[in-house]
Amino acid sequence: MSELLDEFSMVERPEKGEPLGILFWICICWITLNVIGAIFANVLPLQNPLYEDFNAINAGPGLHHLFGTDDLGRDIFARVVYGSRVSITVGVGAMLIGFGIGAPLGMLAAYRRGRFDMIVTAVMYVLLAFPAIIATIAVLSFWAPRSLLKIILVIGLASVPLVYRVIRTATMSVATKDYIIAAKVQGATDGRILVKELLPNIAPIGVSFLLIGVATVITLEGALAFLGLSVNPPTPSWGNMINESRTVMAENPWLVIFPSLALCLFLLGLNFIGDRLRNHFDVTEVKL
Amino acid sequence: MSQSDKLLVVRDLATTFATAGGPLAAVGGVSFDLGQNETLGIVGESGSGKTVLSRTIMGLQPRTNVTVSGSAVLNGFEVVGASEKSKRQIWGTEVAMVFQDPMTSLNPVMRIGKQIDESLRVRLDMSRADAKARAIELLELVGIPSPAQRYHVYPGQMSGGMRQRVVIAIALAGSPKLLMADEPTTGLDVTIQAQILNLLDELKDRLKMSVILVTHDLGVVATRTSRIVVMYAGRIVEMGSTREVFHHHRMPYTRALLESSPKVSSPSHTRLTTIPGRPPNLLKLSDGCAFAPRCAYATERCHTDRPELEEAAEPGHLFACWNPLHVTTGARHS
Repeated sequence: MSELLDEFSMVERPEKGEPLGILFWICICWITLNVIGAIFANVLPLQNPLYEDFNAINAGPGLHHLFGTDDLGRDIFARVVYGSRVSITVGVGAMLIGFGIGAPLGMLAAYRRGRFDMIVTAVMYVLLAFPAIIATIAVLSFWAPRSLLKIILVIGLASVPLVYRVIRTATMSVATKDYIIAAKVQGATDGRILVKELLPNIAPIGVSFLLIGVATVITLEGALAFLGLSVNPPTPSWGNMINESRTVMAENPWLVIFPSLALCLFLLGLNFIGDRLRNHFDVTEVKL
Repeated sequence: MSQSDKLLVVRDLATTFATAGGPLAAVGGVSFDLGQNETLGIVGESGSGKTVLSRTIMGLQPRTNVTVSGSAVLNGFEVVGASEKSKRQIWGTEVAMVFQDPMTSLNPVMRIGKQIDESLRVRLDMSRADAKARAIELLELVGIPSPAQRYHVYPGQMSGGMRQRVVIAIALAGSPKLLMADEPTTGLDVTIQAQILNLLDELKDRLKMSVILVTHDLGVVATRTSRIVVMYAGRIVEMGSTREVFHHHRMPYTRALLESSPKVSSPSHTRLTTIPGRPPNLLKLSDGCAFAPRCAYATERCHTDRPELEEAAEPGHLFACWNPLHVTTGARHS
């Protein structure tokens, strides 16, 4: 009898959360396509993004130049693909730095609390109060010569307090749960609790914040490029392409449309994937 | 009982929190023993210090703002003042804990099998395959049907009763000598409560453990404990064999507790008896008996002098009261 009761009291639920949906996979394909393009840009049958073809200046989209050419006769399609290299590298690189420093600090502070938490949080909030964009512009203007690495480093460091705050809050809500104490009284070490118990619980939040963070950094790089503070021309990035094209926008709108479109769709894809993943991996809620 | 049969010896254990309103003695000098293979019930209202007491015995305190004095020796290991590192040696293998709410005491993103495996592999150095086999064995032991399949399930896919069984399985993984169960059935339905309590009882005998059952529900401790400790305002006010405490209690608070639990024998729609007043503010305790302001038998002396525990008729039965009830006042419980 009690066996029977037990069988009944076991509530079966589908193993996974919300289905991912077709749009999710379209986004995955799109992002993958972009990343592959960025990685293999020099192997792909693209025209030289720096070659100035004076016979085809400000040409519209066509067979020969897929997206047309700019005011110097450079192929826009090739420049958009090469430009994704800079944008994606800055986005991913900066976030890796931000998470590499911010996430462990945030988790440790939330788990240990006490003086360590107090000091680190105070420092982070002071940094947070300082406008990141101004700081980034200031550092990049004086730290010559500019290079991709420096840009990644500066944006990455600027994102540390943001990551710290999100991860610390997420960890704090988990760290006081009984199962963390349960793990502790089973004799688990602090390191083990952090990695095995806390990390998987905050990973969904971390991943979606990471993807949205990459998107934000790519826009920030665009803003910096617009101010002429990103990579030096003639190296293309989505941001500096938009910046350079603004003077000829009236004659050749394609010049601004294509890099903007690339930027926009890439960000949209990232945000959508981040959002979907968060819903999907949300196994914590009992939905009855 | 000789010293060697005692698994746990607690002497003058006190836990004081530093609060904004001054030091708060959540546990104010508690002494008791626990024998091998014995079940001890700790009962009291919310805020009587029973949970803090159980956590202090486990060596689980917040990292700051707390002072613990006295001694709690668990199987030869002094818990008070021990470092986290040395306590890790007894956690899991000497003492384990069953939590109140099975909804929050399992990690929601880890398959239950893995949660049991963990301590087997890390603490007992078992191989992956051995740990899995043992985990399935443990799941079977706690009465989970088709354990091999359940091994791969997430906590969210199980009901409360099943989860609490898993929590018990995890606690049993290290074959602890003492199982600390803090309100193990409060989060469960009544029918499941009985199942879980019977399971704990059965496992206690089978695995030769001792169990401390912390609860506010006297119905829970009535048939399953051999001794009961009644706490009020952080102190023990009465302690003795379950039989004695139920039938020959001397302390008015114990009686008030007994009378306030619902009885099957009363006619329906009978109003439940309540204890007048509220549990005392631990920051504003008088020098007298903490229960005096709510006690019907309180005299002048109760408000100024604190009664110490004294021996009742039966050996081992202690109570702290200036105006004890007469032995004949038995409760209607059986």
